[in-house]
Amino acid sequence: MSEIVIDVGERHIREINEEIQAACAAGHKIIVRNTLSRHNLGIGLPAGADLHFEGSVGYYCGGLNNGATINIERNAGWGAGEAQAAGHITIGGYAGMSVGAAMLGGTIHVKGDTGPRCGVAMKGGNIIVEGKIGYQSGFMSHAGKIIALGGAGASCADALWEGEVWVAGEIESLGVDVNLLEPTAEDVAEVEAILEPLGLNDSSREWRKMISGQRLWYFESRDANAWLMI
Amino acid sequence: MCGIAGRILNAPGKVGDDLVELMVAQEHRGSDSTGFAVYGIPRETGYVLRGMGFDKSRMDGDMDDFQNILKAHGSDFLEDPTFVTNEADHYCTRMIISDPHDIEQWINVADEISDRFEVQSCGRSLEIIKDVGSSNDVADKHGVREMIGTHGLGHARLATESSVLPNASHPFWARPFPDVAIVHNGQITDYYTWRDKLERLGYRFLTYNDSELIAVWVSDQMKNGLTMEQALKKSITSIDGVFTYMIAQPDSIGFAKDRFAMKPLVTVEKNGELAAATEEQAVCRVVPDGSDVINYDGPGITEIWGVGNRRAAA
Repeated sequence: MSEIVIDVGERHIREINEEIQAACAAGHKIIVRNTLSRHNLGIGLPAGADLHFEGSVGYYCGGLNNGATINIERNAGWGAGEAQAAGHITIGGYAGMSVGAAMLGGTIHVKGDTGPRCGVAMKGGNIIVEGKIGYQSGFMSHAGKIIALGGAGASCADALWEGEVWVAGEIESLGVDVNLLEPTAEDVAEVEAILEPLGLNDSSREWRKMISGQRLWYFESRDANAWLMI
Repeated sequence: MCGIAGRILNAPGKVGDDLVELMVAQEHRGSDSTGFAVYGIPRETGYVLRGMGFDKSRMDGDMDDFQNILKAHGSDFLEDPTFVTNEADHYCTRMIISDPHDIEQWINVADEISDRFEVQSCGRSLEIIKDVGSSNDVADKHGVREMIGTHGLGHARLATESSVLPNASHPFWARPFPDVAIVHNGQITDYYTWRDKLERLGYRFLTYNDSELIAVWVSDQMKNGLTMEQALKKSITSIDGVFTYMIAQPDSIGFAKDRFAMKPLVTVEKNGELAAATEEQAVCRVVPDGSDVINYDGPGITEIWGVGNRRAAA
């Protein structure tokens, strides 16, 4: 696979994304440099594409991914991998607010911490975070797994739907309607199998598994006070 | 959606130019209006005023009336005011005045003509420049890139709660407290009730912009004995809405974020000099070599960055 370098600088993002798409179609491995943390880089990439972003990226990098392998060297802004259908995104540093928002499938691997609402409204796939997941992570997650190896911020797994949040390490506090479970050996084996290809499996971890308490599934307005946080 | 920025230099320098760069990079967050608060080298006595009149054909009359009010409060122009106009109806002015006997009493009377001419900043060092248009438009019109100072704020506005008017742009001066300014990204949902409470205490608001409240609210808390840190923390549970706001004073810039962590803030520090902005790509413009950024993404956070000896203030 030949390698092509695309320089971002202050050029129009549409022009850069067109170059990226053309390079994907031509089967090149793509190095994107001088990103200046700009937004919307590498959107809607096709299966089989292989991208490496040098430095940090802005908002929505790798959004609507259809199966590309995307490596972000340092930090990502808001909504990295939003609505990803398939593929694998690796973020070397910190992932901003709402990483993996509404994603449908594939994997997002964050080596640092995440901002608030990691995996908000996700509908499938896995988010693996080596550091700590931020405030209200898993908010209204419908399906898929968020797996945090370095603890969780406040209001963890708030209003979870059918997704799962797995945390090793300290959880600052739980969100509303969370059912905290001791996972079975079978459950843990499933998570370890997700971590194994990333070289992150470790049988000594003490896991906490969070699923929905299911009370919010049948919301009654007369119970509203139970859900008010303010 | 709005974009905000802050900048602190170790010594007086081209802080205006840095603030314009920070705002150019965030123009997509809102370019209906842009504004800057620049803290220049402080005067020993006298105040710098920035003001705006709404009908340039009445400029001479406005200025006569304004000067008469100054004189009635023991103050006068120390130099001839300078003016900026273009094809728009409004005009902007910069004035240097001697100390009025009492700032609060003077501004209360000066505000009686605020339907024609309003004072938008007053301070030993603070100057607020704001107008409709993009960051480059506003910067070129008002010479912001050439402004020298130690620190300042910037704002790109996407109006959501009130009209697009030149005087409804940020930053807002904490009327009548000299040298205090804020910029805000977000919406304050209970601003009307807070305004009412503050108006009953004698404060005056000149726009229907929700953000104008914050500067006065924080300053009023400090007037009643809270430290800035205490006032910032109290604002998180007292003011309802989503916000990341920065408040600047002669010796510091502080910020507070709402309890739902809805609005971002990113900083980068190099050699003790600090840049803060809504987006990472903005701070990259003034500190381009990829120094480590800090994301203040969590809920209910406050911090104060000192000007000068920066480590001591926090």
